[in-house]
Amino acid sequence: MTQAEKKMKRYVNAIERRLNLPLEVKARVMSDFGSSIAARREAGQTDEEIYAELGDPKKVAAELNEQMQEFAYRKSPWRFAFAVLGIYFGIKLLGIVYVLIFAAAMAIYANMPNMASSVGVIGGADGPTAIFVTTSTNWLTFLLEVGLTAVVVGLCIWGYRRLCKCKKK
Amino acid sequence: MEDRFSQQLKKGVLEMLVLDLICSSPTYGYELLSQLKDISQGMFALKEGTLYPILYRLEDDGLIQARWSQGEGRSAPKKFYEATPAGHTENNRRKQIWQEFQETVGHFLDGGRKL
Repeated sequence: MTQAEKKMKRYVNAIERRLNLPLEVKARVMSDFGSSIAARREAGQTDEEIYAELGDPKKVAAELNEQMQEFAYRKSPWRFAFAVLGIYFGIKLLGIVYVLIFAAAMAIYANMPNMASSVGVIGGADGPTAIFVTTSTNWLTFLLEVGLTAVVVGLCIWGYRRLCKCKKK
Repeated sequence: MEDRFSQQLKKGVLEMLVLDLICSSPTYGYELLSQLKDISQGMFALKEGTLYPILYRLEDDGLIQARWSQGEGRSAPKKFYEATPAGHTENNRRKQIWQEFQETVGHFLDGGRKL
């Protein structure tokens, strides 16, 4: 990347960071700025002239944000409810998966005949497996719980994204 | 010069002028800015931040479309805008509205208001 390209990237990124716009609109703005800088360079302007004419990125972004309010997405306050629910069930799901992996590891470990005879840890390490086996009375209900939690997490993510994306019109 | 009245007037006319320029030939954003400035002798000296929302509105309404030019030689590929058939139709309609508007307002200001 040449020095000029780096400078252009830095300038365009400085604007993008400050834009309160949906990703696809941002992409549009950025491609237009890139084109504009390229066109100005081809018209014979120097980098100093180009960036002086385009203006300070902060001001440019503020102006765009103001002029493009109709393109902005309104963020519903309800998205926080989805975020909290999603995080709660996400942690739960992680917990279940963790127990499951731990139990599976223990089961494999315990089933290795020569290891089991040579290492005395087994008794202690078997504890979590025992807890796991006794708490989940039934494999079917356990799987159902995992599935349901995963679905709830999925729904939360979907709801959160949706609420961030209702276009103001 | 930049009082609220002239700002409002410019804002209304600008979208018509931009569409008309694009209708007369496909053009780049930067070219539009310099054309607007030159033809209007500085009256429509815009910044990118003012032009882009206008372009996006026209594009979303299906009146113009953006395309990428292949960079020739060492020039970088650039985004340019061209009018769709619907854009040409709409441009003619807008110009007609402007014509009527201008005549009526002119008539008023020439003292024909007793008509």
